[in-house]
Amino acid sequence: MDQEFKTHVETKVAASTTPLVRGASAMQLKNVSVAFHGRTAVRDCTFDITKNRVTSLIGPSGSGKTTLLRALNRLHDLTPGAKVAGQIMLEGTDIYRGDITVTELRTRVGMVFQRPNPFPTMSIYDNAVSGLRFNGVKKKAILDEAAESSLKSAALWDSVHNRLKVAASNLSGGEQQRLCIARALALDPEVLLMDEPTSALDPIATLKIEDLMMTLKQRVTVVIVTHNMQQAARISDDCAFLLMGEDRAGELIEFDTTEKIFNNPIDPRTLDYTLGRFG
Amino acid sequence: MSFIIPPDFSDDEVVPEFHAGATSRTWYHYVLIAASLVFAAVSVGFVGTILWNSLPEWSHHPGTLLAGSGWQAPLGPFGGLAMIVGTLETSAIALGVAVIIGLGTSISIVFLVPRRLRNVIATLVDLLAAVPSIVYGLWGFLVLAPWMLQTVDPFLNRLPFARVIFGNPSQEFGTSLLLAAVVLSVMILPTFVAISREVISVVPQDLIEASLSLGATRWQVIREVVLPTAKIGLFGATFLALARATGETVAVALVAGGVANTQFHLLYPGTTIASWIATQFGEAQGNAVSALMALGVLLMIVNFSLSLMSRWLVVRQRKVLAVV
Repeated sequence: MDQEFKTHVETKVAASTTPLVRGASAMQLKNVSVAFHGRTAVRDCTFDITKNRVTSLIGPSGSGKTTLLRALNRLHDLTPGAKVAGQIMLEGTDIYRGDITVTELRTRVGMVFQRPNPFPTMSIYDNAVSGLRFNGVKKKAILDEAAESSLKSAALWDSVHNRLKVAASNLSGGEQQRLCIARALALDPEVLLMDEPTSALDPIATLKIEDLMMTLKQRVTVVIVTHNMQQAARISDDCAFLLMGEDRAGELIEFDTTEKIFNNPIDPRTLDYTLGRFG
Repeated sequence: MSFIIPPDFSDDEVVPEFHAGATSRTWYHYVLIAASLVFAAVSVGFVGTILWNSLPEWSHHPGTLLAGSGWQAPLGPFGGLAMIVGTLETSAIALGVAVIIGLGTSISIVFLVPRRLRNVIATLVDLLAAVPSIVYGLWGFLVLAPWMLQTVDPFLNRLPFARVIFGNPSQEFGTSLLLAAVVLSVMILPTFVAISREVISVVPQDLIEASLSLGATRWQVIREVVLPTAKIGLFGATFLALARATGETVAVALVAGGVANTQFHLLYPGTTIASWIATQFGEAQGNAVSALMALGVLLMIVNFSLSLMSRWLVVRQRKVLAVV
């Protein structure tokens, strides 16, 4: 990139950064980079994820949105050759610290995936409480209560309460995705990561999930990756814009409130992207 | 639907051209039809003659064939109990051993072993699956049998109540039903591992990541998500392995002892349907031929059902995965 231009942008950023009045951070990213087999996929991302807000990660394909998201609950741990550098803090604790229990971390930072993926061999009920069972909860009363409250939170209870023992595969795509959200909510996580949760769904199912996210943020901090800029604009409060750099590593171009990113961004590339000029 | 109007081929100019194009292809069209007819005729003829030849024994002594002991060639009676139970015993033990070891192997290949080593093990498994069964038989007879005779058999006999199951080791060669079962388990292990590995590795990464994201440990992922999802396909692999075990002939003929005894102690020599046919057909005449054919029919039906069952299971497994 043109060095002069970069410095120009940096001074502009520095000048315009009026300290935002924000709530407490749910997660803080400090110089987070992810590399696979020594090849950097995302570089040097620094931003805060604020509690009870929806933070969206936007950017064209290959800009490392999903890679960054998956670093937040240490899903890269299972990828051979993956390395995460920098710091990711959850309530002030570095989640990559040696003494952190990964399984416990993942109960605090839940995840919903691109394709609805309820466990095909389990019933609706078993799916909803699967997280609790993984974590050793066996009492039926607790499980029953969690199933009901999580399915209610995912706006699914009314349509499934009389067929809880039916296989989850009988649900429609949108219902399956809401079951996956319920499954994550049953563990009462602090943060819910959503990786393009509506990209496999039809418009009506998509709207339902979006509505759900708006209500959910009262109890859980949501981080969502989306390709859909209208979606980011509709549902998110904060927005991080990533772009693939010259060495094909994703970089954070700009992070701000969604309103600012879409209406008055500092970097011209952000404007170009949100206006649909590329990507 | 009434809206769909069939294409009009009545135009005189178009139809002949269409036919001209088609005639240039007719010769291989007929060759293919003929080939498939020949195949059908061979299949029907094969099954038909076997059934026909086995009919005398099936119609006159079905009880003796299924439950009688003693095989008095050439006149009879021809009791199939020793062979049937021998087949069941050896196949069941072999299957048990192969499934336990094989499942462990498949799971480690897919989830636990580093990628490079994984390929080495997978290649090894495929190679083992390609070893001709006579080689397994040879190994069983020349290497395993003496070792069993010297080490394993005396040890088994020192166990309390062992004689009830195993009997007295009395054979100078060490050939026995147990040895046959051990050799069989080694033979069907690669088959089982190859298929079960495949079935386990196609469990979607999605589901594994979903369960990890819910705080599952790696062991929980395997036990509560991967294995249940792959369950049907694993049964398919089991049936295929069982089909291979029941149908295995040459290796078993070498190591089982080839005696139609009905004591069924594992350390005594015994026989199985397939190996009994292989060792007896040379001297068979008259009714003995029919009796051997009848045993063949029995084996054919069993293996046919096993293979049908495993196919059906594979299809069902695909459906389970298609939902995901």
